[in-house]
Amino acid sequence: MTQAIRAPLSAQVAGIGVLGPGLADWAQARAVLRDEQAYAAQPCVLPVPQILPPAERRRATAVIKLTLASGLEAVAAAGLKAAELATVFTSSGGDGRNCHEICAALASSDRLISPTRFHNSVHNAASGYWGIATGAMAPSAVLCAFDASFAAGLLDAMVQAAATSAPVLLLAYDTDYPEPLRQVRPIPDNFAVALALSPTAGGLARLAIDPAALFTAEPATCMDDAALEALRLAIPAARALPLLRALALGTPGRLVLDHLPGEQLALELSPC
Amino acid sequence: MSAPNTATSPVDPALMQEVAQHIVAALNLDLPAEDIDPDAPLYGEGLGLDSIDILEIALVLSKHYGLQLRSDDANNHVIFRSLRDLAAYVGEKRTR
Repeated sequence: MTQAIRAPLSAQVAGIGVLGPGLADWAQARAVLRDEQAYAAQPCVLPVPQILPPAERRRATAVIKLTLASGLEAVAAAGLKAAELATVFTSSGGDGRNCHEICAALASSDRLISPTRFHNSVHNAASGYWGIATGAMAPSAVLCAFDASFAAGLLDAMVQAAATSAPVLLLAYDTDYPEPLRQVRPIPDNFAVALALSPTAGGLARLAIDPAALFTAEPATCMDDAALEALRLAIPAARALPLLRALALGTPGRLVLDHLPGEQLALELSPC
Repeated sequence: MSAPNTATSPVDPALMQEVAQHIVAALNLDLPAEDIDPDAPLYGEGLGLDSIDILEIALVLSKHYGLQLRSDDANNHVIFRSLRDLAAYVGEKRTR
């Protein structure tokens, strides 16, 4: 017998990490989202992941650098231990640049593919490098839901945090696509957001989802700033921006995040 | 099948330098090609490479020099012992 779940699904945002064009970290993103600093769209700068052993550091792609930088920022802000945290990785597609190189090799005369490219081509590469870097042995889920990937990941992470009564780290990220792939998937730059979600009280804000009304046909909450709205629409992981703005401002209330057409994700934010 | 060269075999220094440059570029190594000790082990201790690195080197050298470097070659431990041994093998087997 299936019993309807009536209690809201909730989690506390205990720490945030951000890395994207013109947004070097959560401190800068927070200042921009609070209108304390003008948004200047600069190409995303990816730090070298010093936490990785030398061999893995040499092979780290943009996907790895993005997730390590944003994820470790969120974990540190939350005062949690990365080695003990379950993770949910979510990305709208594959690693565009790595995919391009493999396609180029397959189109060449000898069709020999670089083993490093092949090893980096799996969708759970970011999760694997995270495990090597942090020593985390906790469960790790890796999702892909095209443009719905941020909302799908948030929902998955909140369900996990509630079901396991343990913190979960959500890492949502997308990397740019080179030509000619960019013609069909025009993601212009890298963007990642990481949220450390805790089932217990404390942190910056409480997020709640009503299981009886998960989805809505209402349009997604937009950004007032034209450049930030352009960023939200250009990179799927940046669909998190309206949530990040509400977290930066401490604005209570309802948010609608882009998910699937006619099935957007509705959630309530209550600042702590 | 001829025996692979050993560390005492003469190797063209220019070719050895070229192979070193291929290794540095293919593996994104953070050191100049001329800093690779020709006689230090490539795998494990020495340059500190692992099995994926060795496969990557095999791919790059196969493409560039038109030779076969197979993962099931019984002599791989000798071919890949050091930069000098690898360059000697390339010098012997290259087709371009």
